[in-house]
Parts: sequence; C-alpha cells; structure tokens
Amino acid sequence: MERTVEVVPEAGIHARPASRFVQKANEFEIEVSIGRADAADGQLVSAKSMLSVTGLNIEHGESVRIVTDAPEASEALEELAAILTAPTESENV
Amino acid sequence: MTTLSGIGTSPLSGVGHARWYRPDAAITLPERPAAEEVDSGAEQVRFETARGTVREALKQARDQTAERVGEQEAAVFEAHQQFLDDPQLVEDIERSIQSGMLAPHAVADRFEEAIKQFENMDGMMAERAADLRDVRDRLLRELLDVEGADLSTLPPDTVVLAKRLTPSDTAKLDPEAIAGVVSATGGRTSHAAIITRALAIPAVVGVGEELFEVAEGTEVLVDGEADELVTEPGASRRAEADSLDASIRTQRVTTADERAIEVAANVGSVMEFEPARARGADGVGLFRMEFLFLDREEPPDEEEQYEAVSEALAAFPDNRVVVRTLDVGGDKAVSYLDMPAETNPFLGQRGLRLSLGKFTDLFETQLRALLRAAASDNGDKLAIMFPMITHMDEVEAALARVEAIANDLASEGIKHAIPELGIMIETPAGVFSADRFAGRLDFLSIGTNDLTQYVMAADRENNAVADLHDPLYPAVLRAIDYAVTAADKHDAWVGMCGEMAGNPELTELLIGLGLDELSMSAVSVPAVKKQVINTDTHSAKELAADVLNCQSREDVYETLDLS
Repeated sequence: MERTVEVVPEAGIHARPASRFVQKANEFEIEVSIGRADAADGQLVSAKSMLSVTGLNIEHGESVRIVTDAPEASEALEELAAILTAPTESENV
Repeated sequence: MTTLSGIGTSPLSGVGHARWYRPDAAITLPERPAAEEVDSGAEQVRFETARGTVREALKQARDQTAERVGEQEAAVFEAHQQFLDDPQLVEDIERSIQSGMLAPHAVADRFEEAIKQFENMDGMMAERAADLRDVRDRLLRELLDVEGADLSTLPPDTVVLAKRLTPSDTAKLDPEAIAGVVSATGGRTSHAAIITRALAIPAVVGVGEELFEVAEGTEVLVDGEADELVTEPGASRRAEADSLDASIRTQRVTTADERAIEVAANVGSVMEFEPARARGADGVGLFRMEFLFLDREEPPDEEEQYEAVSEALAAFPDNRVVVRTLDVGGDKAVSYLDMPAETNPFLGQRGLRLSLGKFTDLFETQLRALLRAAASDNGDKLAIMFPMITHMDEVEAALARVEAIANDLASEGIKHAIPELGIMIETPAGVFSADRFAGRLDFLSIGTNDLTQYVMAADRENNAVADLHDPLYPAVLRAIDYAVTAADKHDAWVGMCGEMAGNPELTELLIGLGLDELSMSAVSVPAVKKQVINTDTHSAKELAADVLNCQSREDVYETLDLS
C-alpha cells in the first residue's frame, strides 16, 4: 500500500515538518518507509528515522512515496501524508 | 579598531568584553581499550542511562524554551529528541558497543558518520549537522561526566564569541546579562539567529574564521544594524551604534502639539512580541491568530488560543493588544479545514464570512478563549477585531455571538469579560457603511492592503496590475478619510494596520487624516515614532486637506514631496 504526495511546507521535509512526520511514524506499530516519487523500493528509508528522513533532503514541491507492507494501513498513510501537505504560514493584513 | 562583517540577526547593538565559548574543548575522549577488555553489558547500560538523562534534559530544554521564547523555537528540541532516539543511530551505536567499544567511542564515531553525511551540504542540511553535534555533545558530556559551560550565569556586559552556537546554548542566554553574541558560522535562518532575535539579544552570525583572531577579554561592539563586529571601537563608532539605540522610544509619543498617537506593531506569532517591545511598540495593533492554525493537522483548542493571547497581554502589560479573529480564505488556505475551491477567493468566503458560516465552531472556540483572556491579568487591555465586514447584519451577528458566548461562560461559572470590540475596514462596502458600524463598536481599523485591492479592483498578487495597488490614489485616500470621519462622529477610535501605516513618509498625512493608532511591522516603529514627535497637528490637517483635493496620484506624490 502506498501514497504519493507533493510536499507543501516551505521548509520541505526538514525542521518542523520532518520532526512531526517522524514523530507520527513512530506512533504506529507498522513499518513505514519513504523516498522520492521516482525512487525504487530498495532506495526507500525508514520513516521512523529522523536521520534517514532528513537525509533525503527533500524540498518543497518535490513528490514523495510513503509506503507500507502492513495491511489496513490507509489511515496511517493518510495521517502521514497530511503532515507533508499542510502549508506553512504567510503574511496578511 | 578592527571591523569584521557578518550577518546581524536584528538591528540591535551592544558593547562588552569578549568571552570565548568553546564547548567542544571540554570533551576529551578516553584511550581506546582493546575490545576484549570492554564489558559490553556494562557499556550498554551506561549508554542507556546517559540516553535517558539526555532525553529528560531535552524535554526540559523544550519546555523552558517554549515558555521563554515560543513554541516554534522550542520545536528544535523535539527534533533533537528524535535524533537521540533515532532507531538507525541507536542500533549502530549498540552494535559498536557489542563489538567491544566503550560507549563514548561508539557515540562519538557513529555520530561523526551521521554528521559527515550532512556537514558539507548547505542550508537546511547544515542545520541538521549542528543539531546532531548538539545531541552528541550532550550524550558525551553525560557519559564522561563533563560539566557543560554555563551560559546562563555570565558576568554582565559579556559578549559571547563562539565558532558555532547550538540551539541549546542559545536558548540558555540571559538577555539581561549578555551584551551580544557573535559566531563564526550560522546564517539569518539558523536557530541561533532566530532565538537571539526573539530574545532581543544583539547578535552577528556568520563572521567567518577571522573571528578566531579576537582575543579573550577584548572590548567589542556588536552592531546588528550594520552587520558588524568592531574590536576596541572608538568613541565615534560607539556613538554611531548608540544613536540607533537612542532612536528607539519605549514610551508613548505625542505630536509636537501633544496629540497622543499610538504606534503599535503587527505580529503574527508569539516570538514576535519581544522584538516588537525592543523596538518600542505601544502594544499590538494587529495580532494575526492564523499562525496557530497553520502548519498542523487540526485546529488549536481553546486552551492553546487562551495561552497565546495571555502571552501577548503579558508581553505588553501597559498597552492594548488587538486580536483579529480567524482570517482564512482569500489567499490563505488551511489543509485540514475543508475550504471550497473558488474562482475568485478574494471575493469569496473569507474572514468573518467563514466564521459566521462554515467555521462557526472554530469561531466560538476562539471567542471563548478571548472572552476568558479578557478577564485574566491585563485582560482589560484586550480588544477583538473582526475581519472582512460588508454589512450591518454581519456586525450584529458577530456581536450577538460574543453575547451568547459570554452567557455560556456565565452559566458554566467561568470567569470572563467582554473586551473592546471593533472591525477591520477593508472593503468599499465597509467604508460606505462605516458611520453605521461605528455606532455599534469601540473602534475601526483600516486594513489598507486589502482596502486598496478592493477599492482599485486590482488583485494584490497580480503583477500586471501592481501599479494600481497604491493607497495614494485619490479614491483610496478618500475612502480612508470617509472611514475616519465616520468613526469620529461616534467617538470610536480609529486605527490603521496596513503597510501604509508603517511608511514614515506618510505619518504626517495619516495624523492629518485623523488616525488615532498606527500599527505596523515592528521594524518601522522607531522611524514612525520619530515622525509623530516632529508633526504638528494643525499643519498635518492642512496637508491632508491639500492631498484630498488632489486630482491625480501624481498630484498626491507632488504634494507629499515623494518621488
């Protein structure tokens, strides 16, 4: 099972979005991996490792795959995808 | 006198004696014993214990930073916790220990590999290397029982010099005692820059290796405005830096003929309170609460909003804090809120339209938080402002909602109060009905960015019509004049919170038009306050009358002596 999403936060998968993504991944029992949209299965890294996730150096606007072998994991994938598609703040008066 | 240049993190300056901070120097690894001499079981326990202690310390650092600086700045310590417990890193370290390494060597080596991976990259990735170093040093200090240098108890007038400053280091700095901070590395968006800015500590980062030439104890000037570090500054160089600090007026100001003008700041997050205060803002004229709703998965609850408003009230105990209720829609989308895709979002569901419609639950939660805050310490300084108003029913509905929430809170026995209530004037409809609205409200605040967009029918994001997006067109000036006159008739105070308010070249005109309050980016506060002091109300009124008589924008520019 997998989801492909475009990364919305300005910071890409760094800083807060990365931190929150990894935190969320660690809340689930199941194994989840992540990589660029064009990455082969073997190039994916563990979504539970801050080191691996930020090491991908994924920037705003890039597409990523979030993948799991676990059954009935669509809700987990949905929650993880939501973090990567939440925008960051902007100025307005 | 030597001058080194870097990047000032804020326009503040300070003078003091240089003190080198070398956290890495204190950490010396022991000799590496042969593998068979190492008690792997004991080393494993040692690593686990150290990790537990560091985890606790990071949690504490997070909470303290959240309290002293803000939630956003505290988030870096959450990232540190994740590096500390990174499954890959922990597994690698444990494997090294099992193969006969002492815990500190395993930590040092495995972290070094991870740091190398990030080190030679730029921007965000370089920041990760700094994060990893910070976590590694905490672990090593714990394992080797080394005291970290204590930055929280430095003698007064110290300027801290460092190769690099970790978030942990920076968050501990005491703004009362520290005259400044200078680091060889770091950029405008590094954590050290963000935190020094938030704590209003003069700082220059990214000075480069030349910084290492500055000897311990040297007298140095940290000039954030000029982006410079000056060693043994002469009297004139000091005076130059001082003149900037002296231009910051923390007191309220009046015109030359003593008409009081409130010069407030627009703020968009908790971390902006301190810089606004440092630049002499008389409170907050526009507190955008949207920051609490963005970059997350669900809306903030009542308590979180109450906390943010309380923080604002505590930051400006003697001044008014105007909170704008949720203003999403238009160009501001929030992913977890189900917002309709519209062809013309600026003319669609935004501001109060959503608060009274689709997002009424969110609106009520927000009002509960605000009414409770109005009864807390300094709560009498709170004001609530509703955005995007076009007709009377909206004003009445908003007021009725406030009344209903007050009744709910009363029946629940919860302490609350109804603060000053007002609206933003940002639509032509709002302008033409301002005299009706003002009779029902305590204040009006003119949002010139949107008002210009709607009066001139020029999308503020469309470059092709950017030239029309100028508040100095006669139509916009007349709209402002109309709204101010309407407010005056009903004794409502009237403010302005668009970019126009922060332009010191327009201060005299705005005073002449009759504005009571001007709210702007904190950086503009000192320059506008200076203009207020030099303005005479009588001649300002004459200027405003002349400007209102102008036939064209060119005439307006000429009358105001603008190029």
